[in-house]
Amino acid sequence: MIELKDVSVTYRGGVKALRNVDLTIDDGEFVVVVGLSGAGKSTLLRVLNGLVPATSGSAKVDGIEVVGASGARLRAVRSKIGMIFQTFNLAERTTVLNNVLMGRLSNVPAWRSTLGLWPAADREIALEALERVGIVEKAYVRASNLSGGQQQRVGIARALAQKPTLMLADEPVAALDPVTSRQVMGDLARINSELGITTLINLHYLDLAQEYGQRLIGLRAGELVFDGDIADVDDDTFREIYGRSITTGDILADNDT
Amino acid sequence: MTATLPPDQADAAATETGRIPRPLRPRLARLAVFLVIAVGFIWGVSGLDVSWDRLRTAPSEAWAILKLMWPPDFATVIERGAIGKVLESVYIAWIGTVIAATLSLPLAFLASNNISPTVVRLPIRQLFNVIRAVPELIVAVVLLGVVPLGAWAGALAIGLHSIGTLGKLSSEEIESAAHGPVEAVEACGGTFISRVRWGVLPQVLPQIASYWLFRFEINVRASAVLGMIGAGGIGSELIAQLRFRNFPEVGAVLIITVAAVVFIDTVSSAIRKRIIAGGSGDPSRLMALVGDLAGSGRSARA
Amino acid sequence: MTDATASGTGERPAKPRPKPLTFLVTIGLVVWTVFTAREVGFRWSTFVTVWTNPLWEKFWPIPWEWVLDRDNVIDPLIETFQIAIVATVIGCGLALPAAFAMSRLTAPNSPTYWVSRIVMSIVRAVPDLFWAKLLVTAIGIGAFAGAWALSIFSFAVMVKLFSETVDGADPGPLEAARAAGSRHVPAVRTGVLPTVLPSYVAYALYVFELNIRASIVLGLVGAGGIGRIVEAQRTFFNFDRILGILVIVFVVVFVIEQISVALRRRLV
Repeated sequence: MIELKDVSVTYRGGVKALRNVDLTIDDGEFVVVVGLSGAGKSTLLRVLNGLVPATSGSAKVDGIEVVGASGARLRAVRSKIGMIFQTFNLAERTTVLNNVLMGRLSNVPAWRSTLGLWPAADREIALEALERVGIVEKAYVRASNLSGGQQQRVGIARALAQKPTLMLADEPVAALDPVTSRQVMGDLARINSELGITTLINLHYLDLAQEYGQRLIGLRAGELVFDGDIADVDDDTFREIYGRSITTGDILADNDT
Repeated sequence: MTATLPPDQADAAATETGRIPRPLRPRLARLAVFLVIAVGFIWGVSGLDVSWDRLRTAPSEAWAILKLMWPPDFATVIERGAIGKVLESVYIAWIGTVIAATLSLPLAFLASNNISPTVVRLPIRQLFNVIRAVPELIVAVVLLGVVPLGAWAGALAIGLHSIGTLGKLSSEEIESAAHGPVEAVEACGGTFISRVRWGVLPQVLPQIASYWLFRFEINVRASAVLGMIGAGGIGSELIAQLRFRNFPEVGAVLIITVAAVVFIDTVSSAIRKRIIAGGSGDPSRLMALVGDLAGSGRSARA
Repeated sequence: MTDATASGTGERPAKPRPKPLTFLVTIGLVVWTVFTAREVGFRWSTFVTVWTNPLWEKFWPIPWEWVLDRDNVIDPLIETFQIAIVATVIGCGLALPAAFAMSRLTAPNSPTYWVSRIVMSIVRAVPDLFWAKLLVTAIGIGAFAGAWALSIFSFAVMVKLFSETVDGADPGPLEAARAAGSRHVPAVRTGVLPTVLPSYVAYALYVFELNIRASIVLGLVGAGGIGRIVEAQRTFFNFDRILGILVIVFVVVFVIEQISVALRRRLV
C-alpha cells in the first residue's frame, strides 16, 4: 500500500515539481500516470523510492516512511521497489545475467557481489526472472548486443529479481517502436496480474494508457488534477490534464499486432 | 557564393562566418602572431650561445658521429648483457605501470564529481596536477636520495609519476560515464560500493585499461631514460658506451632500444584496439594521450 | 528493433565456460607481473621505509634565499624556456611541410609517404633524452645541444600528430583545386591548409607544453637549462635546494600550462 500525504518537491533553483500531492494506492493496482513532460511524473515515481527526496509531506510504502529516510533504512525500502527506466539503464558491457543479478544486490553480502560471486539461490532467482520475460536464452550475452525491446525486458527482469512489492516504470516504452511498446506493456500487465505486484507506470501515449491502465492519474504542473477509473476517461479528460487539445504526438497509433 | 559579391561585401561575409572568435582584422592578427613568435624565437636563440660557427659545424659534427656508429657492434654489447638490460627497462616500465594503475584507480573515483564530494575531490585533483608537473626523472632524482639505487627505485619513480596522468584521464572517463546505470543500482538498494562496482566500473574499465596500456608504452621510453641516471635498464649501457666513445656499440644499443620500443608499441596498440572495440573515444582526450606518448606507432586513432 | 521473442527457445543456456584464451591471458599476466616484480626487486617494505627514512630531513627546510637568487635558479629556468621556445618554433615549422609529405591525402607520391613514415617512427622510438645525450656528445655540452635535441623530437611528434589531422581533412577542396588544373603544392596550400590550420596551432601549443616539461630534465644529461642545476645539487646531496627548485618549476609550469590550455580551447 502506498500513501502520499501532502507531498511537495522543490528542486534546487526553485522549480516546484510536485505540489501538495495526496494519493493512496492499494496493493495490486495497475496505475498509469499521464501528464505533459515536466508535469512531475518522473518526480512522483522517484519520490517513492527516494531517488528524489521530497521537500515536505509524507510518503509511506507498505507502512515505511520514505521521506527523510537514508542509509540502510532507505536501501531496505528500495530493495522492495523495482524500477524500470526509459533508457533501460543497463550496464551494457556486462552480461544480461549480471544485470539481472543487480536486483539481488541488497540480499547478497557486499564482498560477494563486488567479486561477482553470486550465491546459487540468487542466480536461480535471476534466471527465473529472465524466464518470466522470455529471454532466458540471452542470459550470457552482453547486454549491449540486445535490441531495445530485449534490453527493456532485461530491465524488467532486473526489477523482478528484487522480488518487489511495488514496480515503478518511468516511461518504459518511450524509446521503443510501437510493436515492441505493446509487447513490453503486455509483459508489465501480465506480471501485475500474475504476481499481484502493485505497478505504477508513467506514460506519454494516451491510447496505451487507455488500453492497459486500470486506474489513471493525471498530473499538471506538479498538481494532481485527475484520479479515477480508466473506464471514466475520455478525450475531454486528457484535454483537461494536458491543458491543450490532443495531437497525433500523444497517440502511439499503429494498430495492435 | 561569395565570389559573386563585390570584394568589400565578400570580406564582410567572410568575417561573419569566420572561425576566429574575435573579429580582429585577420591580416593584422596574423601579423601580430608572427611578430610574437619571431620575437620569442630571437629571444630564445639569444640565450643558447649560438654562433654562426657552431651553427655551421653542428650538423656535420652530428653527421660524423652518426657515421661512426655504422656498422653497429652488436656482438660486444650483447656480450655485455644489453638484451638483459633492455628487458630490465621493460620490467621497470611494467611494474611502474602496475603500481600506478593500482593506486590511480581508487584515487580517480575519489576525484570524480559524480562519485565523490567536493571536499575530497579537489585535493586529489590538485595532487594529480602536482604529480603530473614533476617529470619522472626528477622523481627518480629525489627517490634515489632515499631508496637504494637501481631498478626498484626506477619502477617506483615511474609508478609515482604515472599516477598523475592515469588518475586524471581515468577520472575524466568516470565523470563522463552515463548516470542511468548508477541510478538503476541505487534504485535496487545498492550501496556506495555497489554503485561504483556495477554502475560505473563496467562502463569505464575498458577505456581505463587501454589508458594503462598506453601509459605502459610511454613508460618503456621513460625507463630507458631513467637508466641514464642510474635507475637500471638500457640507459645505463648507453651512458657507459658513450663515456668511452665506443660509437659502434652506441649504435647497437640504439638499434636494440628502437626495436624493443617499436615491438612493444605495436603489440600494445593492437591489444588496446581489441579492448575498446566498439567504444568511442573523445578526440580531445586522445590528443592529450597521443602527445603524452610522444609518438607511439599507430595509437592516435585507438 | 522489433523483437523476435517468439523465436526464442525459452530454454536456459548452459553457462559458457571461460574461453581458454581468456584463461591463459589472465594466468599469463599474473605470472608475468610476479616475474617482473622479482626482477626489479619489488619490496613491499619500501612503501613503509621510504616514509621513515631519516634522509627526508635533508629536504627541509627549503633554503629560499638560495632558491630565489637569480644566478642559481631563475637564469637557468629562463634558459629552459628559451630552449623550449626555439625547439617548438623549429620543430613545428619544419613539421608543416613534412606532415603534408607524410599524409596519405597530400603525399606527392607513395615512396615519399612510406620513407618519411618509417624514418619518423624510428626517430620517435628513440627516447628524447637519448637524443639529447647523443647531441651533447656530438656538439658539446650546453643549451645549444638541448635545443637541437628537442627540435628533432618535437619535429617528430608534430609530424605524427599533424599528418593524422591532414589524413582526416576533407579531400573535396583538394580535388577541386586539382580539377581546376592546379599543381600539387599550390593545390595543397589552398585546398587543405586552411582547414587544418587551427588544429596545427593547437598541436603546436601542445608540443610547446611537452617541450617545457622535457627541457626541465635536459640538463641532467648536460644539455642545459634548469636540469643542470638539479644535477649539480644532486651530486652534493642538497635535496633541500632541489625541493626548492621543484616548487618554483611547478608553479611556473602550471601557469604556462593553464595559459596554453586556455588558448587551445579557443582554437579547437
